[in-house]
Amino acid sequence: MKRVLVLLLAVALTAAACGGHKSSAGKKGAVTISNEQGTTWTCGFNPFNSDVNFLSAGTVYEQLTFVNGLKSGQTTNWLASSYKWSNANKTLSFTIRKGVKWTDGKPLTAADVLFTFNLIKKFPALDLNASWAVLKSVTQKGDQIVVEFKTAAVPYFYYIADQTPIVPQHIWSKIANPVTYKDPHPTGSGPFKMASCSPQVIKYQKNSGYWQKGKPTIETVYYPAFTSNDPANQQLASGKAQWGSQFIPNIKAFYLNKSKNNHYWFPPTVNVSVFINLTDPILKDVAVRKAMAYAIDRQKVAEVGEYGYEPASNQTGIVTPTFASWLDPTLAKQVTYNPQKAIAILQAAGYKKKGDLFYTPDGKPLSFTMINIGGYSDWVASAQIVQQNLKAIGIKITPENLSSTTYDADNYSGKFQLSYNGNLSGGPAPYYELRQLLYSKNSAPIGKNASTNWERYINPAVDKLIDSYAATADPAKQHEIVRRLQKAMVTDIPVIPVTEGVDWYQYNTKDITGWVTEQNPYAQPAAYVYPDWAVVLMNLKPKT
Amino acid sequence: MRFVLRRLGFFVVTLWAAVTLNFLIPRLMPGNAVIAMMSRFKGHVNPNAMHALEIAFGVDNHQSFVSAYFTYLGNIARGDFGTSLTFFPDSVSHQVFQALPWTLGLVGVTTILAFVLGTLIGLVGAWRRGGVLDGLLPPIFVITSAFPYFWLALLAIWLFSIKLGWFPESGGYDTATTVGWTWTFAVDVVRHSILPALTILLTAIGGWILTMRNNTITVLTEDYVRMARAKGLKPWRIMWTYAGRNAILPNLVGFAMSLGFVVGGAILVEFVFNYPGVGWMFLQSVENQDYALMQGLFLMITVAVLVAILAADVATAALDPRTRERS
Repeated sequence: MKRVLVLLLAVALTAAACGGHKSSAGKKGAVTISNEQGTTWTCGFNPFNSDVNFLSAGTVYEQLTFVNGLKSGQTTNWLASSYKWSNANKTLSFTIRKGVKWTDGKPLTAADVLFTFNLIKKFPALDLNASWAVLKSVTQKGDQIVVEFKTAAVPYFYYIADQTPIVPQHIWSKIANPVTYKDPHPTGSGPFKMASCSPQVIKYQKNSGYWQKGKPTIETVYYPAFTSNDPANQQLASGKAQWGSQFIPNIKAFYLNKSKNNHYWFPPTVNVSVFINLTDPILKDVAVRKAMAYAIDRQKVAEVGEYGYEPASNQTGIVTPTFASWLDPTLAKQVTYNPQKAIAILQAAGYKKKGDLFYTPDGKPLSFTMINIGGYSDWVASAQIVQQNLKAIGIKITPENLSSTTYDADNYSGKFQLSYNGNLSGGPAPYYELRQLLYSKNSAPIGKNASTNWERYINPAVDKLIDSYAATADPAKQHEIVRRLQKAMVTDIPVIPVTEGVDWYQYNTKDITGWVTEQNPYAQPAAYVYPDWAVVLMNLKPKT
Repeated sequence: MRFVLRRLGFFVVTLWAAVTLNFLIPRLMPGNAVIAMMSRFKGHVNPNAMHALEIAFGVDNHQSFVSAYFTYLGNIARGDFGTSLTFFPDSVSHQVFQALPWTLGLVGVTTILAFVLGTLIGLVGAWRRGGVLDGLLPPIFVITSAFPYFWLALLAIWLFSIKLGWFPESGGYDTATTVGWTWTFAVDVVRHSILPALTILLTAIGGWILTMRNNTITVLTEDYVRMARAKGLKPWRIMWTYAGRNAILPNLVGFAMSLGFVVGGAILVEFVFNYPGVGWMFLQSVENQDYALMQGLFLMITVAVLVAILAADVATAALDPRTRERS
């Protein structure tokens, strides 16, 4: 995403950069990442600090199992050489791999894993995924780690195995307050070592004693800090940086045309939707929501508002093609762009059109405000198309473009009528996003902060479905549950998915091969996704 | 002496007012630091992290407004600005002192250069009114000053780094060089600072030229200048000690203030050139509701401006006896 100013500057740069320029390619075996984070580096690498953990999780500190979000959660054994569910999916046991060493030479054992889980229990501020809300106990039996859950918790595997970085006991046990610990010289087990850091650039060096033999083949990784989008894009266009993870306006002229080695792929991961406040006296009526769902031309929003970078969504909430195997195609086809039908639905529900606008039977106009982040120019453009679409059937939308802080505060507390929003984190399967959207425990009364169910959807039947998913590891049953959740999305219209948010990913093949491609999606390819970025770096190879 | 003491008293009162406003204003903003932090992640973080952040930042234990104010005053007196939430868990002072040298080096040097060059061009231009220098430089620089900064900066990047490849387009130094007190690093830093410095200079210098030139022209019509000419003094001496010394007085306070504002950084410069510095940090602290960092930066700017004005007052008193007499 980006800010308006950035876009302005970028457009100017695009126009300006239509000429040849010196390409200063990096040294052999070095990769430079260009990922605008809007911040300089603090040179802290604490993997439990949500502000910096994407800089050490995966590369320096490793996870028990790698879960691939682009292959519906396919797992690869990592620090754990195997795992097993038992006791009706309430017990999860890991066998910890032998022969793994920390970079200071000490062996990594099951005791380190046990220590890590106890650490995030003792310090809730480190427990970024609230794992201990569902965990009962973690114990060690030799090289086995046994994780006991309070209830069946299959989806939590992702957070326990993939999202919890394992730290060395012999170092972290000596730290008095790990919450405020900066961890400036991290000792991990991963494929890379942090070699040097300044506020402007982090340099990672290959861990030559890494336990996966022959990996990594990349010697050095440079991770410069970019406080704005333009310089970051410029480094990508000039080939100075090989791996990009950000929005580039007019990517064809600005990036692709610069070199035949420049490529991009934007795999969709999570929906950008119109959230509807279900406590609003008019929006409470499903007919109004349904009419809106029929009235929005998602294809046009995707093409015009999102430059075609983000594909159009469908009402089921399943992001395709990433999770296509979960999609119920009949349900997906049920609610599509059809303004005539939208008008018919409103009329059938007793709404009367006077002039350009529909009115409720007691005379209130169908006129709503829609909050949005003013700095995201693509969302603002998309919302304008939604506004035009709804105007065409007789519903008035007034966009309110806010600062992201005010916007988030309003979403959390429910102070909105409509909200254009793509801020959910999703997960390695559609279930995660649907649960964030629909589970009543993620909701809260208006005025209180809801964690993700911002539209305040409460449906006991859906809650039951969501709970039952946690109890099964059987893919067929999981698919059936997700199908029924899609049904709820289509019949109740709690939110209207409009476009599919993507992982921003650009790559240069001049000196390096092995990149993630659409044909070989072995990890999420954006450099800000952890631990996936380490998996990408391990698969890169310098061309000889 | 009484003059200086009175100025010092005024300084202390202003400082207190500034410190108090500094405490109040950030707290009138909507939202809180945790929500701001969550929005910065744009969904890359599990929503449950909100709770973890609340514990880590201590936003859930509410302190009364009054007691927070006194804790704040006490901490400031000790020079403790607390922990930055933007750069958690780093301390505010550490972060600021890391960014400050870049800002002082770039913005400080260019501000002084702009003032010195602008004053000289203005003075000489007014002295030789209608000459080649006067006909050329002031109009050019007044025009460049009117350009929007980012437009000029982008033009410079396009021409000098993309087209010609003379200078790097962004950053404070090349990311592949090793940081240290070495010759290569120093050269690299200077190379990276040339474009930003040049663009700041181009946009800042015009104002100084114009004011200095106008002041000098007014002063040149004064009787004492005519008197000096009549006495047969050398022209350069009249220009320096008669015209220059008097004409610079009004500009001195302006210069002092811009020196004070140097520590506030230059947000646009840092934005366009991805240059490390305080200005961008400022923006971040406001966006992230990072009270501690915001207060530290505001206080630093306030103190710098107040000190600079105090110094300018003293300097004016030294240069111009008339300001001393009334006190």
